[in-house]
Amino acid sequence: MKFRAKIADAACLNHFTRVSCMVAKLARTCTLRIRPHALNFILADPAGGGVSMWCELPQENFFSEFQMEGVSEDNNAIYVELAAENLSRALKTAQNARALKVKLTNKHFPCLTVSIELVSVSSSSRMVTHDIPVKVIPRKLWRNLQEPTVPDADVSIYLPVLKTMKSVVEKMKNISNQLIIEANLNGDLNLKIESELVCVTTHFKDLGNPPSASENESEDRSPEQMAEVQVDIRKFLQFLAGQQVNPTRGVCNIVSHKMVHFDLLHEDVSLQYFIPALS
Amino acid sequence: MLKCGMSGSQVKVFGKAIQALSRISDELWLDPSEKGLALRSVNSCRSAYGCVLFSPVFFQHYQWSTSVDMNNGTKSNLNCKLGIKSILPIFRCLNSLERNVEVCKIFTRSDKCKVVIQLFCRHGIKKTHNVCFQESQPLQVIFEKNTCSNTLMIQPRVLAEAIVLFTSSQEEVTLAVTPLEVCIKSSTEESMDLNSSVYSEMFVGPHEFEFFQIGVDTEITFCCKELKGMLIFSEATHAPITMHFDFPGKPMALNIDHMLLEANFVLATLADEPSRASSPQSLCLSQKRKRSDLPCSNSKVGKKDSKGMESISRKVAPRKLYADEILSNISALENSGSPIMKRVNSDTEEEPGSPSLRKCKAKNNLMEVMPKSYFCISDIEHLPPLSKKPGFGVG
Repeated sequence: MKFRAKIADAACLNHFTRVSCMVAKLARTCTLRIRPHALNFILADPAGGGVSMWCELPQENFFSEFQMEGVSEDNNAIYVELAAENLSRALKTAQNARALKVKLTNKHFPCLTVSIELVSVSSSSRMVTHDIPVKVIPRKLWRNLQEPTVPDADVSIYLPVLKTMKSVVEKMKNISNQLIIEANLNGDLNLKIESELVCVTTHFKDLGNPPSASENESEDRSPEQMAEVQVDIRKFLQFLAGQQVNPTRGVCNIVSHKMVHFDLLHEDVSLQYFIPALS
Repeated sequence: MLKCGMSGSQVKVFGKAIQALSRISDELWLDPSEKGLALRSVNSCRSAYGCVLFSPVFFQHYQWSTSVDMNNGTKSNLNCKLGIKSILPIFRCLNSLERNVEVCKIFTRSDKCKVVIQLFCRHGIKKTHNVCFQESQPLQVIFEKNTCSNTLMIQPRVLAEAIVLFTSSQEEVTLAVTPLEVCIKSSTEESMDLNSSVYSEMFVGPHEFEFFQIGVDTEITFCCKELKGMLIFSEATHAPITMHFDFPGKPMALNIDHMLLEANFVLATLADEPSRASSPQSLCLSQKRKRSDLPCSNSKVGKKDSKGMESISRKVAPRKLYADEILSNISALENSGSPIMKRVNSDTEEEPGSPSLRKCKAKNNLMEVMPKSYFCISDIEHLPPLSKKPGFGVG
């Protein structure tokens, strides 16, 4: 197993750092999958057996050099588990870096080594190295870490500005732990919270709906009919907290009473996040 | 006994000094003398010492006098020990203090044990803080900088960039030097395992230092926390930091020399012992064993809260804080070697719940690992320093 890559462009480095910070906010430990054309950050759902977070970065948009050799010819992939915060912190130290190299090494135990060439005030280079401990995931566990299928949603709707949602949901958190997300095909999205004393609903209108994939759904469903799901508000907040910038595109897919699926696109990085319904 | 005043920008530097010393300990001594006003702090396990001396010209006005004891005519200094919790909040938000405060006056009231800090702010606002202090004679550390083989002088910016690499969970940092390069890295144990944190290292070339003198290749390990305190302060003074160090085990000194003030931090370094790989708890135990070996005459002293013990001893006699080794050497010179005080020392050290002992292995008692000729801790007033040549000490 081999992996070496290099980032030489400052903008790419910043983007990669932002992505790793976002992942660090969404998961404590996550899986990094390295394949010839893409990197994935994966968070497996402990209960469901599926995946709760799936983030994909097309490798060519970030790395000027990229070489990898997977476990074998047939399985040309590397799966390692690491603490997401270690990676984001190491990348944050590369603010004024001339170049950044990442490679898989084995010093006493497997590490992801990040080597940074910093430019100092006196315009001379300073070398910084971080060895991030990782755990190699054996092949037999790979099937739990595969790309999730987009669920057959009852309603798909574009998301409003995430910052607005976050400030609303943060206040709702004080009222109750159970949040109802409902939306319809008319571009309406509601966030509802209920307690004994009070019931608060925030309405977002005219959001627009992406064209639906299957024709049956749009025919059967009246535009006004709401699809709703009740989720743990903390999980939703954690997802929102990870988004520092508003995505290029954000879609929310609701499977009534089962789960909600968020599909975001930050320039070229795609992020999918699943929150199951509260039983 | 003490009366001084400073302007808004000087308050900022003064506040930074207090913030830096707050990283070392929860208490600090206010120690005025003819040389200026010194702020001193020693941590509970005696592995770090900090002193910032503001010369009289730093202040707008500075007056100091000894007080004369009515009963026996002995002169005594202001033995003033303040809790950091009482004084730190006064100097919070230093940037706004710098903007708003026109004059800051600090004076002591000899009738009550109080230090009065008055901030005269804009718009006619006057804030007065009365801070009670405990009577306690300050400690000082005298360190022979000249005997150190390695001296590095560097702008705080570079050091700060290095320190930011290390997470707050990593208490210890290793500085490895050769004549060709300097490496600052996370301190590693022999067996790093999967759950260990990130190992980071940064190389700095000799040309980045303002002064670079390496006499002996060495690797020293010390606690990051106190270094961060020093960095906070040096960035406020814009002066370079000088590091003096030698072999592992010998304390290292960080020094800022400025026209108006002088700052010195002495940190213990991890010794290169065979027991190095042992857990911090066993280090604590071995210190405990040493303590119990020394003659301890008062067996009546039971297991009380150590703070309670301290206040008892203070009422008994003016307290001098010494490590037991020095106590045993200069016991002839002591005038009040109360058994209660010895016991108090060991009780403080034995605290099992002390978080600082558990986390940082470099917490060797400064006095234990050092031969006396290099450095010593002495009471400023009554005892001369043990070494013949004065180091940087204030006494």
